[in-house]
Amino acid sequence: MSISSASPVPAPEAPGAASESSPKLVEGRFRRVFVSTFITIFLAELGDKTQVTTLLMSAQAESPWVVFLGAGTALVATSLLGVLLGRWLARRLQPKILDTASGTILLGITLWLLWDIAHL
Amino acid sequence: MDWNLLALSFTAVFISELGDKSQLAAIVLGGTSKSPKAVFLGTATALLLASFLGVLVGEGTAQILPERVVKAVAAIGFGLLAVRLLWPGESTAD
Repeated sequence: MSISSASPVPAPEAPGAASESSPKLVEGRFRRVFVSTFITIFLAELGDKTQVTTLLMSAQAESPWVVFLGAGTALVATSLLGVLLGRWLARRLQPKILDTASGTILLGITLWLLWDIAHL
Repeated sequence: MDWNLLALSFTAVFISELGDKSQLAAIVLGGTSKSPKAVFLGTATALLLASFLGVLVGEGTAQILPERVVKAVAAIGFGLLAVRLLWPGESTAD
């Protein structure tokens, strides 16, 4: 299952209607991007979430839900900050530079993961 | 509601997440994707589920999903995303 086409591309209703912004295509793309982002990040982070667990241990878990609420809000906040920063950069850099830089950073993350594996 | 415990857990996780793989990925994918909302939702849900599972199942996740295999698949996933950006040849970046 290749990541980029996780779900079959929805067939456009009429040949003429397959413009880039037709709702079905946009919805299909939204789902593809959501699924590919979710899978890669979930797998990359699955083993890493130690600090939340250690936090819970240290809090003797008398109020685990408060800890999880705090941690969860922090995770959402960092993701939001990340995407907003990405959008901000996208407005400042030409697409070509942004794509090349982004591709290199993603390769860096790939190496970072391989490094983690080597040191497990 | 124990507010300083809430603030403590928020700050601890927030600081440790800054510059982590997932945030880097959120910046990069958010910047290059035509659906940044999907990137945000995907990242946030993945992080919440990963940490929720980590908390619930604890070390058990290692038995069910051996970390080497999980990280290897993640590495392939990120590699694919990188290739699609560096050599967009066939499909345009989503």
